[in-house]
Amino acid sequence: MSRILADIKGFGRQYLRSKVGAFFTFAFPILLILLFGAIYSASGNQKVSLPVQNLDGSSFSVAYLNELNNTTLVDIRMIPADADITNYINDNSLSLALQIPVNFGSKIADGLGSNYSGPVLVTIYGDKSQSTFGTAVAAVEAASVSFNYNLSRTLPLVAPGVQGLKEGYKFLDYFLPGVVGITVMTNSLFSMSSICAEYRQRGFFKLLATTKLRKHEWLISKFVFFSIILILSLLTTFAVASAAFGTHSSITVLSLVMIPAGAFLFVSLGMLLGVAIKDPESGVAVANAIGFPMMFLSGSFFPLDMMPDFLQVVAKALPLTYFNNGLRDTMVYGNTGGAIINLLIVVVIGFIFFFLASRLMSWKER
Amino acid sequence: MLGPNGAGKTTTVEILEGLRTPTSGTAMIFGVDVTKDYSTLRDRVGILPQSFEPFDNLKPTEAVQYWAGLYDIKMTKSQVNSLLERVDLTERKSVLSRNLSGGEKRKLGIALSLINEPELLFLDEPTTGLDPKARRDLWRLIEEIRKKGTTVFLTTHYLEEAEKLADDVAIMHKGKIVARGSPRDLIARHGKMTVIVLSGAGSDALREIRRRGIEATEDNGDVLVPVKDPTEMRVVFQKISGIELHAKDIYTRRQSLEDVFLNLVGAKMDEGDLKP
Repeated sequence: MSRILADIKGFGRQYLRSKVGAFFTFAFPILLILLFGAIYSASGNQKVSLPVQNLDGSSFSVAYLNELNNTTLVDIRMIPADADITNYINDNSLSLALQIPVNFGSKIADGLGSNYSGPVLVTIYGDKSQSTFGTAVAAVEAASVSFNYNLSRTLPLVAPGVQGLKEGYKFLDYFLPGVVGITVMTNSLFSMSSICAEYRQRGFFKLLATTKLRKHEWLISKFVFFSIILILSLLTTFAVASAAFGTHSSITVLSLVMIPAGAFLFVSLGMLLGVAIKDPESGVAVANAIGFPMMFLSGSFFPLDMMPDFLQVVAKALPLTYFNNGLRDTMVYGNTGGAIINLLIVVVIGFIFFFLASRLMSWKER
Repeated sequence: MLGPNGAGKTTTVEILEGLRTPTSGTAMIFGVDVTKDYSTLRDRVGILPQSFEPFDNLKPTEAVQYWAGLYDIKMTKSQVNSLLERVDLTERKSVLSRNLSGGEKRKLGIALSLINEPELLFLDEPTTGLDPKARRDLWRLIEEIRKKGTTVFLTTHYLEEAEKLADDVAIMHKGKIVARGSPRDLIARHGKMTVIVLSGAGSDALREIRRRGIEATEDNGDVLVPVKDPTEMRVVFQKISGIELHAKDIYTRRQSLEDVFLNLVGAKMDEGDLKP
């Protein structure tokens, strides 16, 4: 234990004195949050994924969904009709959903006859602060207008209603966990892969092998060090986001547990890459080749459901996706169950990488 | 352990240091097989690997404390200062290691290798690449360590270094030890005791001398004639007195390990490289 502490202290001093280390730990996430905070204050109009619960099932509701699909603004995905929509939204960390009510078809039929008693409300569940919300509302309004015109020409048979989710939350609340995810990945993965290459090239591994420090102790000390500085980084980034943009997402106990889990995963992956990399320059290149696609494809910058289907499949193979999802589940949606599942996935992948890295890494000459 | 680059010095030392697995054979230190249980030797052995570089962003004081921690040793501030004083780094103890000179970095490396107060200290080419002053400084430090009772196992390709520092020299060539003994013994066994130097005499003189049956070599325009004893020296002087020499100077010097190496390997060693 004392050797691990000595290594944390010695390595930590070196890391924090290197300008690159200090930049990526503290300045990088703050820059990202300030930059994207400013950019995302404007809304976009991309095609958004819209989960729909059809409680009716009549030909009228199917026709309405066709109209919604024809807007080309949304990508419809169905929610099981027997699910409680608020629980479903929470359990699946959704930020947007549409519900077509029971008896939708019969009320439309009544309206077309002589018993018109006002429009049937289809309910949009969503967060008004999100850029995707405006797109969804526009799609539902356009579908309603078209549906009404096609059936009655004059009567407003269907109209959208809005049920707010996470009122007061901003896009940045959803973005913040992504920034933390990127910070955890870049610090742990990029640092460890190039540190391993540098240690091998400059003979530091040989030097360490002459001491009593064992390989697993060195691995553990890196994991502990990165966990500590990344928790500090999370707290700093959170404080800046909160002060500059008034974000409402919260730091939970689970989010503080997610950070060491992420550090464990990406430190282990960095070491695993470091086993094969011979020099620091190659370390940076390989880490970038793996890290950058992961950064963009794992939902750090924008929601996964805005990506094409095949890229969503790719995203599911990336460990950062589960880390980001876990953080969002606990910090934004309050979905503890979902966060724990993502946490377990991160830990399991981390153990696989750690096992492989500790088996394959050698400080000695073979 | 003296030998040219590529002779196998570092490979041998790294096997002894537990840093490299031998392909065959055994290696023992203090009666312990290093391939089987090196951990028991860590308290007794200090190591300065070849081309040692300290961690750039640590000051010497911090590096010593860090290294002590990795040996489970608690050092007080005064013990740290005392160790740095011993290697003559007191004035540079608060400078980041990346700003130390090459010689200072090696001194720091030696300080780290002394943290566990070893009985046996491996120094793998500690002076390679250093300027002459830094090299002499390190020689003084190594001599001081030796005088305090630590056995120093030093590898080098500097003949002068081996001759000056070593009690016992092993000359390694192509992975094998070709000679071993004290510098004086090696010179006695494998060299002539004295060399007559005909400074600037050149190749014409060399040819004439050899024509008279005298063994001689040429080095940078100087003609070197080795002799075993005063009797042989008199004979040689008589033989060459009839030759018209254009030497700048004629003098004698004692042979060194350089001559021994030349006799054993058949080539000279310059900065570790063999030259015919």
